[in-house]
Amino acid sequence: MSVSVSNVFLLNAAAGKAEPAELLHAITDKQLADWEAEWAPELLSSLQRLHRTGVARARWPQSRHWDWRRKATALQGMLAYPGFSVVCAGVTQGMMILDVATKRCRILSQGGKNLVYVWFVENAPWNRKELFDPPRYRGVGSILIRAAIELSKDLEFQGRIGLHSLPQANSFYANTCGMTDLGSDPDHQGLRYFEMTPEQAAAFIAKGGKT
Amino acid sequence: MKIEFTKDWCMSMAELEADAEIGAGLVAIDPVFNGETVAVKSAEESIVAFSRFVQLARRNRGLTIEALAEKADVEVFELVTIEEDGQYKPDLRTVYQLANFFDVQRANLLQVAGLIAAKDTHIINEAVRFAARSESVAALTAEERAALDAFVSVLSEQK
Repeated sequence: MSVSVSNVFLLNAAAGKAEPAELLHAITDKQLADWEAEWAPELLSSLQRLHRTGVARARWPQSRHWDWRRKATALQGMLAYPGFSVVCAGVTQGMMILDVATKRCRILSQGGKNLVYVWFVENAPWNRKELFDPPRYRGVGSILIRAAIELSKDLEFQGRIGLHSLPQANSFYANTCGMTDLGSDPDHQGLRYFEMTPEQAAAFIAKGGKT
Repeated sequence: MKIEFTKDWCMSMAELEADAEIGAGLVAIDPVFNGETVAVKSAEESIVAFSRFVQLARRNRGLTIEALAEKADVEVFELVTIEEDGQYKPDLRTVYQLANFFDVQRANLLQVAGLIAAKDTHIINEAVRFAARSESVAALTAEERAALDAFVSVLSEQK
């Protein structure tokens, strides 16, 4: 099966310039191999560093237990749970799994309409300041959120998306993405639930200037 | 689906995003689908029922495949494939459009079409029973009509 690819750019933080990258409309075996061979060892050494320097566990990455192979395998072949990944310099820089079938809007004004729910999204360890300072690439999150919005539009959900943010990412979804914060969700480990309306989706895309 | 990104957009957003954390999803939990293997197997069986449902519901309304494609805003070729290939997994949007047109619950039809893990074995069992009761011949028999009506009522159940 061929994988659809969109051309994107990431900001190489060290060089301060754009670097060509690809947005894959899938999570393939190559991404899972990258996760095992590149992400996991980097994450482990980062956790060891945090541990040795006495950083409290509460400040360790909350996604440190995620097993992307298990996630992808569990959802293989289910078209209702599409995946996206960003690849730059031959290595996977970020991954996302969506649910396009079972979630509805919680913002009252949206009247329970369908949305694209971001089930899981994660940056590569070397793109995360808490683990790697300065991070290698910037912009992975914006590209993946834009992909979720575009898929939502393609499914005629008009750009509506929703997600449960990890605590350290609340600011990104509230401020950079401009999503509505519906507060802590007791049914989802107390994570804050964020939702984006069609108007907020348009505003997010407009933030980056000419698309 | 191909998405057009300009270099300027990517760079502007990278500057805005800066070093922000972006993680979302339940902490330390991977998706676990109870009875997943069984559900997927059942879903494969029920795709036959999805194929049969589309065919009978169309005939029940006296529509040709072409007319249904136009009214439900789906591709003619995909409708033909759905009706003739009982193992074909339809496009998500097509199932949405058909659920809207035939006025049944989207989530239920998605399960029958095998696009989401079957959470409700009742629906899958009914789907298999429906497939067994119906035949893909020209006119709807009284038995077929009764089977179709019964299955539509199951598909229309609100959760």
